[in-house]
Amino acid sequence: MTTMETLNGIFREVFDDPSLQIKPEFTADDVPGWDSLSHVNLILAVETRFRLRFTQKELLTLRNIGDLAAAIDKKAGPQA
Amino acid sequence: MTFTSFSYCLFLPAVYAVFHLLPERFRPAFLLCASYVFYSFFGAPQLLVILAGTTLLSYFFALRMAAAASDQVRWTMFRYGAFSCLALLAAVKLAPVALPAGFRAEHSGLLLAAGVSYFIFQAVAYLADVYLGVQEPEPSLLTHSLALAFFPKLLQGPIERAGSLLPQLKAQYVFDYDRTRRALLLLGFGLFKKIVVADRLGQYSDIVFGNLQSMTCLPVVLGTYAYAFQIYLDFSGYTDMARGTALLFGINLSENFNSPYLASSVADFWRRWHMSFSRWILDYIFKPLQLAWRDHGNAGTAAALIAAFLASGLWHGISPGFVVWGLLHGLYLAASVYYRPWQRRLHAFLGGEKAPMVRAWRIFVTFNLVSLAWIFFRSPSLADAFTAVRAILHPAGSLALARGMDPERFIYTYVTLQYGFAELAILGLSLGVVLLARLARGFPLFEKPAWFRWGIYYALFVMIVFFGVARDNFIYLKF
Repeated sequence: MTTMETLNGIFREVFDDPSLQIKPEFTADDVPGWDSLSHVNLILAVETRFRLRFTQKELLTLRNIGDLAAAIDKKAGPQA
Repeated sequence: MTFTSFSYCLFLPAVYAVFHLLPERFRPAFLLCASYVFYSFFGAPQLLVILAGTTLLSYFFALRMAAAASDQVRWTMFRYGAFSCLALLAAVKLAPVALPAGFRAEHSGLLLAAGVSYFIFQAVAYLADVYLGVQEPEPSLLTHSLALAFFPKLLQGPIERAGSLLPQLKAQYVFDYDRTRRALLLLGFGLFKKIVVADRLGQYSDIVFGNLQSMTCLPVVLGTYAYAFQIYLDFSGYTDMARGTALLFGINLSENFNSPYLASSVADFWRRWHMSFSRWILDYIFKPLQLAWRDHGNAGTAAALIAAFLASGLWHGISPGFVVWGLLHGLYLAASVYYRPWQRRLHAFLGGEKAPMVRAWRIFVTFNLVSLAWIFFRSPSLADAFTAVRAILHPAGSLALARGMDPERFIYTYVTLQYGFAELAILGLSLGVVLLARLARGFPLFEKPAWFRWGIYYALFVMIVFFGVARDNFIYLKF
């Protein structure tokens, strides 16, 4: 599974929406329910699944889902 | 100089005329000089020094960050820059509390803080954005100085992001008839909101909050609602005037309000109220804390909310009332972290969040929660605020007065507090105009025939001249 595919699964779980289809250019405005409270749950879920730990600065500079995927690849190495 | 002063009536047209006639290359420098002159009208030279100091500190540390070889050095530069700016803010905010009373009485000019909290927050946001790499440091000291000092937003914001303001300040000014018309309408409507509606509401709320000891339930409730609308129309009136002024010079400042009292939750309120400030608090205090404490789950988020709103309270001034106001908002939001899942289920059971009755109920509850917090914000002291809350909790006080009294006399003496019918009618009419303007949002006024447009302009003008009340400055000027 690619990083984006795994991420899509995490998004579906966190936002409780089995049909959610994410795209790299999506921001919080494009995903219903993605507010500052659910954001932290999303980050925790990503960190647990990919077994990594982001720094504050990495998290504060994310602009969209593409940035998140790139940050994951940079830390964990691209998923096959 | 404030937007409702007579000197501003002369200053703005003069500055605009010169700006318009000057060759483009002189315009930024001229606007910067005009902004410092505007600021100097407060007769408080230390304010000019603080503005210039903040400008130089943020300029210097942003460039040092960009030139730094490692992230470690960038972080150090960011901390030096942000802390030195915030130390200036703390000094200005602490002066009224910390200086001896005798000294304060003699040098009251030294206690003025107009504008400082706004431009220092903008400077810190700029440094944070440069540190995070989302903003390039501004190489021109002139442009950077103007971004902080630009007089339309100097005194009360909006707290602009460098990313939105700097490119606009660098763009060439071209006269645009439609834009100028919109600017003048915003200026006029902002003035109307402030001196006709907000200041009239203020006359009533001042009586209530100035005599809380002798007030019963009903006038305290009405006085609190009056204050809620007074502070909104005061501040959004100011913001309209700021945006209108800036628009004359071709600059679009950010919107600060989006019908805040139609918010359906306290979180929603903060997405609609003083938006440039709440985004600052969200981005630079709440989010970093929330992410730092993310391993504590909901408790971490709740603690970050309380800390962020405590800071928001302190930004308004170092006094117990502001602290309780911030704390109340923090607690509302922290509590919602826990009860939200249950609330969602309840709303789903009642027909969904968007069902009209559910929505109306949520707006009503939110408005009252926000109003309760305004009591602490407005009351002269914490003891007074608790007196007000006690009066609200004892409706029997108003009932006892009403018993055995002629209803008309009761209303005149204890509810409208001796406001006659004519004054209430003017207030009702002015509030009606504001409501109408809200309902007509998006109405293509400028496409309507001349008689219709000019009818509206004249009506606004007549109301400002005849119904305007000369009162104190804008509420948010002192923060």
